[in-house]
Amino acid sequence: MFGFSSLVVRMSSSSIVEAPPKGGFSFDLCKRNEMLSGKGVKHPNYRKTGTTIVGLIFQDGVILGADTRATSGPIVCDKNCEKIHFMAPNIYCCGAGTAADTESVTDMVSSQLQLHRYHTGRESRVITALTLLKKHLFNYQGHISAALVLGGVDCTGPHLHTIYPHGSTDTLPFATMGSGSLAAMAVFESKYKEGLNKEEGIKLVTEAICSGIFNDLGSGSNVDVCVITKGEKEYMRNHLKPNPRTYVSARAYTFPKKIEVLSTKITPLKELAQVVEAGDAMEE
Amino acid sequence: MGDSQYSFSLTTFSPSGKLVQIEHALTAVGSGQTSLGIKASNGVVIATEKKLPSILVDEASVQKIQSLTPNIGVVYSGMGPDFRVLVRKSRKQAEQYHRLYKEQIPVTQLVRETAAVMQEFTQSGGVRPFGVSLLVAGYDDKGPQLYQVDPSGSYFSWKASAMGKNVSNAKTFLEKRYTDDVELEDAIHTAILTLKEGFEGQISGKNIEIATIGEDRKFKVLTPAEIDDYLAEVE
Repeated sequence: MFGFSSLVVRMSSSSIVEAPPKGGFSFDLCKRNEMLSGKGVKHPNYRKTGTTIVGLIFQDGVILGADTRATSGPIVCDKNCEKIHFMAPNIYCCGAGTAADTESVTDMVSSQLQLHRYHTGRESRVITALTLLKKHLFNYQGHISAALVLGGVDCTGPHLHTIYPHGSTDTLPFATMGSGSLAAMAVFESKYKEGLNKEEGIKLVTEAICSGIFNDLGSGSNVDVCVITKGEKEYMRNHLKPNPRTYVSARAYTFPKKIEVLSTKITPLKELAQVVEAGDAMEE
Repeated sequence: MGDSQYSFSLTTFSPSGKLVQIEHALTAVGSGQTSLGIKASNGVVIATEKKLPSILVDEASVQKIQSLTPNIGVVYSGMGPDFRVLVRKSRKQAEQYHRLYKEQIPVTQLVRETAAVMQEFTQSGGVRPFGVSLLVAGYDDKGPQLYQVDPSGSYFSWKASAMGKNVSNAKTFLEKRYTDDVELEDAIHTAILTLKEGFEGQISGKNIEIATIGEDRKFKVLTPAEIDDYLAEVE
């Protein structure tokens, strides 16, 4: 949202003053949408991530996990999307809710954190990212539908937080969000303990996400895992693929039976430019 | 003569066609501490004197060379506070470019935007030009680049350049020693020798600052210990 700070107000002869918006969000359309849905008009389906996202704190740091299905109403519109977003080299954020909202909110705060790092010369803290996110979401009163699990390791230790679309936050040792959160939380509540090591932690996170994938319609496809420890991070994209395509045809395209291929000619799209060294030498 | 009547207002041309305030800004730059930059075949090195007003000043807290993006850095001659403002604006512009295009800003673009900011301050009311000249060093897909930006907002690409107090001696020295295929390590030695030319007092890792960017495209400010190593090599 790059709003201009200068206001140019043109006075037309019909004395209707048209002032362009001052920048930032305009809530006019929200009122209109509410009015329309009150009259029974169905709003268009936007792409939600209908998700399972989880995070837990283990002995050396934080592990985040997410599924990879993005839905638009009843249709799976992305079978392998990325829900674990980069915030800072030591902080990652999983996002559930409207895909556009989670993407742009995490992008924006990541940008702000980068500028803050240049200004202070220090590593970003998780609590800074948390505060920037919750302030932004609260300002928009829940209209930005982004439910986030934020985790990272900074100089004060490992941290894990959840952020709700209205701007409230929780600080927890293990957390789940999204439509599959109940399935995943059931796994965490029965199997989580303090002081897990890295393999146990990854195994537990994978189990919780799989529980969401198999028991929730809004979640599916593969499992992404991200392990953050002091000074390093490991982003395991598609760590587990429990839903492979069962049948893939190995043949390339073949023409239908009655058509004979007579000749094949391949034309490269890029033609080599010929530089012609022409012209006489300049006269002195 | 006629010029002095026009020297108070930035936004008025003098009869000789100059904006006198900008000339004065260049004088402010010319009395600042020497800084220089050399573009090598595989990187860029920038360096500056770091003369502090008293031995009581904690020199570790002063950093004259700043990075704007992971692959672009900048040094200045002139007024330090003006430099801070420009660095902040440039960093924000680089970050905005990154958010919009999802790629690191090319060096020429960042230089152009910074120059545009400096030009704005020569054509607005109630402001004065920045009293700094910048040397921007970066490495992007077009290779290593070195640009100088003046208070008027004009910018030039240089193979090697110097600014500040000792500029004419430094430039002559650089002209003699520069070759097109110089490597980064040799360029660092040349930079140190050029600084030594006009240096008053004992040169050490604590009163100069050097930064390099090589083929790894990571802008790196050298630590005082590393500078001392290079100084020992040069001796």
